[in-house]
Amino acid sequence: MSAVISAKGLTKRYGKTVAVDNIDLEIQRGRIVGLIGPNGSGKTTALKTILGLAPFEGELNVLGMDPRSHRDALMEQVCFIADVAILPRWLRVQDAIDFVAGVHPKFNRAKAEKSIAHTKLKRDMRVKEMSKGMIVQLHLALVMAIDAQLLVLDEPTLGLDILYRKQFYQHLLEDYFDQNKTIIVTTHQVEEIEHIVTDLIFIRDGKLALTASMDEVSQRFCEVMVSAANTDVARKLNPIDERQVFGKSVMLFDGVPRAVLEPLGEVRTPGIADLFVATMKGIYL
Amino acid sequence: MNTFKWLLKREYWEHKGAFFWAPVVVGAIMILVITVSLIIALAGMGDGMKINGVNVTSLATAVTPEQVSVFAAKFIFGYAGVSMPIFMVVGIGVFFFCLGALFDERRDRSVLFWKSLPLSDNATVLSKVAMAIVIAPVIALIIATMTSLIIVLTVCVAAAVAGVNVFGAVLTNPGIYVAPLQLAAILPIYALWALPTVGWLLMVSAWARSKPLLWAVGVPIMTGILVSWAHHLFSFDWNVAWFWKNIVGRMLGSVLPGGWMSAGPGTFAGDDDAGALTAFSEVLVQSWQMLGGTNIWLGAATGAAMIYAAIRLRGWRDEG
Repeated sequence: MSAVISAKGLTKRYGKTVAVDNIDLEIQRGRIVGLIGPNGSGKTTALKTILGLAPFEGELNVLGMDPRSHRDALMEQVCFIADVAILPRWLRVQDAIDFVAGVHPKFNRAKAEKSIAHTKLKRDMRVKEMSKGMIVQLHLALVMAIDAQLLVLDEPTLGLDILYRKQFYQHLLEDYFDQNKTIIVTTHQVEEIEHIVTDLIFIRDGKLALTASMDEVSQRFCEVMVSAANTDVARKLNPIDERQVFGKSVMLFDGVPRAVLEPLGEVRTPGIADLFVATMKGIYL
Repeated sequence: MNTFKWLLKREYWEHKGAFFWAPVVVGAIMILVITVSLIIALAGMGDGMKINGVNVTSLATAVTPEQVSVFAAKFIFGYAGVSMPIFMVVGIGVFFFCLGALFDERRDRSVLFWKSLPLSDNATVLSKVAMAIVIAPVIALIIATMTSLIIVLTVCVAAAVAGVNVFGAVLTNPGIYVAPLQLAAILPIYALWALPTVGWLLMVSAWARSKPLLWAVGVPIMTGILVSWAHHLFSFDWNVAWFWKNIVGRMLGSVLPGGWMSAGPGTFAGDDDAGALTAFSEVLVQSWQMLGGTNIWLGAATGAAMIYAAIRLRGWRDEG
């Protein structure tokens, strides 16, 4: 199957600063990709180039189109929630639904009205009367009712309470996602997307630090709770990270076979957060 | 085309205050002032009659049918004037609408919401142009016409209270029906005339990172001052007045109604003795005669070029 997004040598400069540095990337259809990086690592910039919001150098193909020249056609197939986007203050719930229904051929009004019925939003409410969480609820209700091939979510749950965040990701997985859709999601709450993503991309200083499917991650990376007696042996295997928990060393290994590690202690697949911390080591130094 | 309809609706939702409520309030104030004046006048007349001690309860005997018909004609001549304050306030509304049209969405970041929908920069910017030079003037025309009619009827009722029946004379005068059509016929000229200001403001609105008003007003005026200064300092044979009027004035003031009347081939002189119809159709004819000159076309072409620039700027502006 052809890639939904393919990039070769994708570069974006702001003056002398290189925000996205010569990235090669392929994202296949039917995947949920977690794009994870520290602040200022270039993840939002990379998303902007994909959405045709920023000019760039290199080659980039989204659903067979160049985002620079085919933005209008692309936006019928692609939907996004940008991290800083807000709905205009004067917009009413009812008008927002009418408007999107009027301009978007793939908008399902019944679906949007159903999700809004689950919230405290009222039809004649204006955005300026809503709390931050309610604005996000309205925005998500609109976007999730669009049958897009590619959905880009940049910090979609920012400002939402934990109940709604859980509900959102569940909804995303059960009611929205299917094999023909592709979702790219960025978030600071790494644990939240841990169980829904199929692929991980770590980005650091505008470069890709890791690109792997979750299957590959569980094969490649092992976390071992090493008992005190084995620490020296374990350290010789070059762990990419080591931390102390209850007097024991927890070491993270990249590409060391499980069979080699199992005698050293309890072996398990690392969480995304731990993997992320290990990969980004030294970035703030 | 359906998308365009929704884009226009969206502009109307956002700017209902400037394009609907502002002219309605101005119209209501005019109606109120005239009604109150008439009531005071009627009350004063009643007093006057008592003081004179004349036992007449109406003016009917004092007014001839000829006077009624002259009154009707004169009255309808002024009738189109009622629309001027309404068009002025809408013109000011159009100025600030264009100035904010592509700036406010960037400032509050809602541009990212609009850009997440299949809306091209072309359609978006052109919908704003259409709002400024077509929809807003048409709404103003409707409100102005309704205001005028209410004022006419109020005056007729007041006259009737005073004992003079002018309903027949006023309502059978064709001017009352022709005037709104004549105003409507001027709207295409207004649209063409307003283009340079609309284009300039939209371009600044799409380009400015902050303070669009300062840029929009400052650049033309500073240029004008520099030109005047150079003219005086080096004794160039420049026509500075022409520059102020045709460059600075056209960039900033063309959204105000009737600006073309002083730029036409002939100058309009209010003709007091002529009947209502001839006077106002004179305005209409002179407006359309503008199309024979180069001023309006050069302005419109420049405006169109600046609108094109605004479209491209909206596409390129990368909000970091």
